[in-house]
Amino acid sequence: MLSAVPRRIFHTFFRKPPAQRVTAKVPPYIRDQDSNTDNEQPLPHDFRIVYPEFLPDPRPEWRNRLRERLERNDMLTRRSVVAIPEFYIGSIMAVTVGDPNASDKTNRFVGICISRGGTGLRAWFNLRNVIDHQGLEIMYEMYSPLIRNIEVLRLEKRLDEELLYLRDALPEYSTFPLDMEPELLPEGAPVPINDIKVKLKPRPWHERWERKNLQGVQDLGLPQRFYNKAKLHEKPWEKYDLMMEYRATIPEEEQADIFQEIAPHYQQLESSRRQSKRRLAQTSRY
Amino acid sequence: MEVMSLLQNTTSVLAGSVGTTRNMSRMKKTRPFWQPKPTRTLYPEELTPSNEAFGSEVISDHLSSSSPLKCEPWERGVWTQTSMRCGIIARKIGVYPMWDKNGRRLLTTLLEVPDNQVIKYIPPEKLLETTHNKNKNRKRPMEMGALVVGADPIDPRLVTKEYYGLFADTGLMPKKKLTKFLITPDAKLPPGTPLYASHYTPGHYVDVLGTTIDRGFQGVMKRWLFKGMPATHGVTKSHRRPGNIGSGGAKARVLPGQKMPGHMGRKKRILRGLKIWRVNTKYNVLWVQGPAIPGATGSYVYVYDSWYHHCRHTPDNPPPFPTFFQDEDNIDEELYHEDLHVFSNPSISFNE
Amino acid sequence: MNVVPAILRAARCGEGSRLHTSSSLQHIQKQTRLRVVDNSELGKSAMLEGRPPRCIHVYNKKGIGRTGDKVLVAIKGQKKQAILTGCHQDQFPLMPKFDSNNIVLVDENGSPLGTRIHVPIPTFLRKKLTDMSRPKENEAKYCTLPFLIDHS
Repeated sequence: MLSAVPRRIFHTFFRKPPAQRVTAKVPPYIRDQDSNTDNEQPLPHDFRIVYPEFLPDPRPEWRNRLRERLERNDMLTRRSVVAIPEFYIGSIMAVTVGDPNASDKTNRFVGICISRGGTGLRAWFNLRNVIDHQGLEIMYEMYSPLIRNIEVLRLEKRLDEELLYLRDALPEYSTFPLDMEPELLPEGAPVPINDIKVKLKPRPWHERWERKNLQGVQDLGLPQRFYNKAKLHEKPWEKYDLMMEYRATIPEEEQADIFQEIAPHYQQLESSRRQSKRRLAQTSRY
Repeated sequence: MEVMSLLQNTTSVLAGSVGTTRNMSRMKKTRPFWQPKPTRTLYPEELTPSNEAFGSEVISDHLSSSSPLKCEPWERGVWTQTSMRCGIIARKIGVYPMWDKNGRRLLTTLLEVPDNQVIKYIPPEKLLETTHNKNKNRKRPMEMGALVVGADPIDPRLVTKEYYGLFADTGLMPKKKLTKFLITPDAKLPPGTPLYASHYTPGHYVDVLGTTIDRGFQGVMKRWLFKGMPATHGVTKSHRRPGNIGSGGAKARVLPGQKMPGHMGRKKRILRGLKIWRVNTKYNVLWVQGPAIPGATGSYVYVYDSWYHHCRHTPDNPPPFPTFFQDEDNIDEELYHEDLHVFSNPSISFNE
Repeated sequence: MNVVPAILRAARCGEGSRLHTSSSLQHIQKQTRLRVVDNSELGKSAMLEGRPPRCIHVYNKKGIGRTGDKVLVAIKGQKKQAILTGCHQDQFPLMPKFDSNNIVLVDENGSPLGTRIHVPIPTFLRKKLTDMSRPKENEAKYCTLPFLIDHS
């Protein structure tokens, strides 16, 4: 994870010096006049956790500031039409999409968010549920105009970054009623972490879960040779690999720039985020 | 008289390019014959800071001066179906999805149009004089002129004198990227005319010419998608090799065109018939159909009106001709194709 | 909590980490075992006996079956045609991905052998399946709830 100290050291000593700007060159990216420096706000600590898709893909060969900016504008425009609430992997959500084949032309699906990814307009998440003893997963694009409504029925986190192991878990761990009521979350409360330990079905599995260092599963009950093999595949040095972390993340300074760009819209984002939480509280009173 | 200076420069460049060494024919870096070497070797000129600042000030003043047009505006031509408009120089800045009104996702490539300006108009008779012109050898040469267009201003202190000479007559700042677009004489534009992304309107089709990503010297598996050979079963040192390259007997030689290892990429490739989905006139960006425009992010591409017959402009749907004069006409900031979903519109709903 | 967002994790591992080179691409092709989800006698008995049908042909040009494709299956020594109503392999957005490869048996005229389906099916198949079934009394009831759950 991003500990502040090593990053700062890294940036001080190893960062490439900025290329000298030619005086006569018109830079392709010009900041708007309205984003003056007086109103600069501090970067909220949870910005990158709540809105991860606003940070661009860190691959340097795909970066372009103008493109990222246009993409963010489109994202904010779409968010002003359909509120995309705060959610995490492990949250239980209901998504309503327009569907020309359904009888009432809409389609609502409830499920647990097992994975989430993509940056910018490509952002997506996966919902999983078991309906009539049949496991189902649906991938939704967050900014697709087919989406009518996204509700978070239970806002919580789990112990793991991805819950793909629910495919190999007993079905009761991914079964959620379709008429589930939204649950109460008090104002200003931190997002609860559900430390449930899931029981997996016996092998064969989709992946070798013993190698994934999962926190949210019960004892896998494998012979010792599996753990020995997993030990050989461990990469304990990766958490010290500063270069890898640098390549995989957007530096803090650039994050601040990005936030400054969307700062005028941040109040609106936050209010819709609070509203969705309040709506949760209201509906659960009945 | 403008042409004279260009031609003089041309001769000097031709003389200079003779001695260049090249090791691999595919690797040579070519400039158009009429373009001098743009940049020079920089050396410490030991200018005082105040002199340096004065130079920068002069350059920025020059950049911000209002109209670069030195000549009177020319009479504007009228579009006919045989007209050929000027193209523009654009920069590929990325790919992202858009959705159409049925909710179908399409990938679009964003092309930024960086400060394009017309540098020079070469009338047909002058163009025919240049030696490297295939048109000259035809029995009835086509009535085609050319527009030299430049993009992206560059610091004049960085360029060579010969390169700067191309721009000196027009009173324009030197440009980083130059190219020549063939046009019919009715599409001519005076030097200094800016070209914007609104040169194209949503729904029109374009051809995009770019240089593919340079992959260097590659083996047959990457270059021609050969299968290679097995990893085991007695195979030694031939896992990624091509194998047999020809037969014996009468054809006891390697036939021309045999797929072999070699240099891959950095070739000019043109992608034709791409629809324009959206235009941003503030930042001068085009949203063009498809993710496969040749070149890496940040590379220059040339955008032309499409060459395909079914993609050409029709009298019902004529293009802005000779270009769209954005400074004179009002235009919306965002132009969308009618089939495209606009993000500010409500979600798509299907009626019974 | 120190959770790296999945987005960053994915970037760290590269797109290639999602690409499996083993059989877990889960293609439906010849020799794939399938699961009958309708209430036809043939299908029920085959599933109860633990002899699930095997795909012996996919009626498309690619040879890989996707949701809605027609396949030929070998079931209890017979050849029957069937419609794929759910696939396990990775799907496009909004197309449900199932935990099993489900089929509905159809006869040579294309009408379903059974009258009910026990599991949800994608909505776009609703019209397709109802169009295929010949009009008769007590016809298959394909439900309208999310990907069809028949509560009747």
